[in-house]
Amino acid sequence: MPKRTLILAVMAIVCLTTAGARAQDQAGQTGPANEAERGFGWRNERPSLIFGEDVYVSLRAKAVFDWRGFDPDLEEDTFDLNVARVGLKGELTRHFDFEIEREMDEDGVWQDWKDVYVNWDTFDLFQVRAGRYKLPFGLEQNLGRTEIDFIYRARISTQLTPARDKGVTVSGRDRGLGYEVGLFNTDGDIGKLTEPQFTPGAEDDLGPTFAARVTATVFRPFVGEDAALRSLRVGVAYTNGNLPEGLNSLRGETPYGYDYFEPVYVKGRRQRLGLEFDWTPGPFGVRGEWIQSREDRLGQGLGNRDLSDFLGTGWYVYGTWIVTGQDKDDNISMRRSVLHGGPGAIELALRYEQLSFGSASSEGLPERNPRAEHLFENRDRIWTAGVNWYVMPHVKVVTNAIHEDFEDPARTPLSGETSFWSGVLRLQIVF
Amino acid sequence: MPRRHVASPAVPDALIAVVVWMLALLAGASPAGAQTAADLFNPTVLHRVDLLMHSQDWEKLKQNFQENTYYPADLQWNGQTVRNSGVRSRGLGSRSGTKPGLRVDFDRYSTSQTFLGLKSMVLDNLTQDQSGVKESVTMRLFARLGVPAPRESFARLYVNNELIGLYAVVEAIDKDLLARVFGSIDGNVQNDGYLFEYNYLLGSPWRFDYLGSALDPYQARFDAKTKEDKSAADKWGPIEELVRLSNDTPASALAPMLEPRLDIAALVRYVAAQNFVAQNDGFLGYDGMNNFYFYRLEDSTRHVFIAWDEDNAFLSADFPLNTRHEENILMRKLMEASTWKAQYYGVLQEAADSAAQAEDGQAEGWLLAEMRRQLDLIGDAMREDPSKPYTNDEHAAARAALLDFPAPRISYVRCESARATGAALPAGCS
Repeated sequence: MPKRTLILAVMAIVCLTTAGARAQDQAGQTGPANEAERGFGWRNERPSLIFGEDVYVSLRAKAVFDWRGFDPDLEEDTFDLNVARVGLKGELTRHFDFEIEREMDEDGVWQDWKDVYVNWDTFDLFQVRAGRYKLPFGLEQNLGRTEIDFIYRARISTQLTPARDKGVTVSGRDRGLGYEVGLFNTDGDIGKLTEPQFTPGAEDDLGPTFAARVTATVFRPFVGEDAALRSLRVGVAYTNGNLPEGLNSLRGETPYGYDYFEPVYVKGRRQRLGLEFDWTPGPFGVRGEWIQSREDRLGQGLGNRDLSDFLGTGWYVYGTWIVTGQDKDDNISMRRSVLHGGPGAIELALRYEQLSFGSASSEGLPERNPRAEHLFENRDRIWTAGVNWYVMPHVKVVTNAIHEDFEDPARTPLSGETSFWSGVLRLQIVF
Repeated sequence: MPRRHVASPAVPDALIAVVVWMLALLAGASPAGAQTAADLFNPTVLHRVDLLMHSQDWEKLKQNFQENTYYPADLQWNGQTVRNSGVRSRGLGSRSGTKPGLRVDFDRYSTSQTFLGLKSMVLDNLTQDQSGVKESVTMRLFARLGVPAPRESFARLYVNNELIGLYAVVEAIDKDLLARVFGSIDGNVQNDGYLFEYNYLLGSPWRFDYLGSALDPYQARFDAKTKEDKSAADKWGPIEELVRLSNDTPASALAPMLEPRLDIAALVRYVAAQNFVAQNDGFLGYDGMNNFYFYRLEDSTRHVFIAWDEDNAFLSADFPLNTRHEENILMRKLMEASTWKAQYYGVLQEAADSAAQAEDGQAEGWLLAEMRRQLDLIGDAMREDPSKPYTNDEHAAARAALLDFPAPRISYVRCESARATGAALPAGCS
């Protein structure tokens, strides 16, 4: 508890200081830093060490505090320090930028490295990134925490996408068309092997994974600068990587960590296909994704028979509306934040999503054992309704009401119950 | 009718088979569908059981035989297949990475699935009994004596078409067995009471002495097998009370105090039957109590014992009849009461009589005949068993030793029972 309080206090102090500095910026010093500026200052609304016009290092920090309630009671903690991270982000001349970020647990103990990469961005059409970072797959997965509109990411983002890994990516963008192509060491944090491996060293056989993503603002060439359709963006993404033999498949997990579909035996390739769209006309936002993972099960049946592919299929669609009128497209303006006597920005959000796991084959009776040809499907359908209150720069309060409905009563957080409600209040400080 | 057809050269055998098959269909059951659990546990047949597993799962199960990890399997028996079953290593001292003892749960991945009405069964690897039949003979005798006990048969076990060895097919102690053994009491089928498997704690022998008012020590020893979601007080509170009263109540007042909580007559019968077969690792085991299930009858406060794992029986023909009575608090107090003492020795006499009684067509007593029958039944399979941890010579020696048990044991029990109760000594007692 003292550590939790300490984190909160430090974050609050830095946040208020930052907000004050931003207020000063907005009063007159917005725009590029003065060439002569050196030493401690502010870049991109973050406290920074500035060595020159294009050389600076900014401090990044995130702290997320959750208060939760469940119906029926799931004996989960009602408080959760969801994440605490600190990092550095900066530019090294106009040709390179970098980011380093690491996570800390509730007891103040350092956890995994998050982002550690260098980006060469001299040309718009051809950029190279190397290090550890998110694979180019999944619209929402590749958004930062400040950019997602609900407390929990959609289930397909947390269960079907790869997330971070070590690798190299080539990317580029021109006239609304963007591409990213990369090769990665394994298959990302979400797909990493968590079960004991039967074959020693099998974990080293995961990957390498190829990933590619193409996005396009399809109406941009055809409409004017102020047209609502200009921000409509669609995309397609794909991954393909080696998958070692074992209980190594992707799994179905609720936002609170219950496995409603445990891993099955797989061997071969793991592929993902994703489709996405994103549209932010004025104060509104509409976003959706469809993702399917397909994992081989070569020789994984009883008697070592080949089994049909293991499929994870899901989608979400949601809409948001900033009722206080700010534009959704860019960073939401904080000119009416509570620091300036305003209400901040208040946004309503509603999302529907579902994610199911099962087999490609539906022949014969469905079974729950992890070597079944026809796997007994389980599906999680979730409604989330929320209110986002952007209180002031870097501070956001979010409340979500979540309703989950499972298809298989035998595999839910409370066996026999299929319907669950939960409520979460989140205080999020990010700079 | 069939004999007339067979005798007639004008009617081919195939036609007879078709007619018989059609009659079976008309009777509403296919030949395979007519199989029952009684057929699976038919002790006069040496069965074949096949498990179809993934080869790596089988290797993993053998490598990690101390773990209770389940692996999926299809089980085949007598032309029938039950798919989607769960198999895991089982046992205490009998666990083996070469010839694993197995538990097969038919409802592991499908809560409603049963096979022949069974939710699970045990494949006992027979690694601790070189004769191979001690437990199955004991369970058969217990059934004759009215002691709750599982049914058993023998089978050659094949995994992925490879012979693993000879196993005993043992009826699992579960709701199905409870209903079969205890039947209906006051119109209530006894299949939904509180069932516990006694958990032997190595280095912590227990002989029914009071473990205190906290429920943890009872929870550690009595592993709940039904009603797992009930509170600790519901599950282990009555056991704590039973043990406390057994310890605190004088022997003279024990029976009326315990009767509502324990079927004393059944306990005395169970302990006497175990003594008759010279079981050294049972209720009065050499290292405290061991190898039993404990059942609190449905809608009742009464508990009963159920026999389990009797492969340490037939230790010696002169196994004393009062072995460790003094060590176990409950048994010591019960034996201080003349009623229970008389019943105890009465059951021993009954067991001796039952063992000595020759069945129709038999020249020797039931126990010796049953031992010989079972040993003959498994003989070839035992010798062909590639995984057993003993030699064929050791099995032959164990067979001979076992067959030498019944006659002297029956005499010993008859003589010593008479001495203990002050009755006239039967002829031949020295």
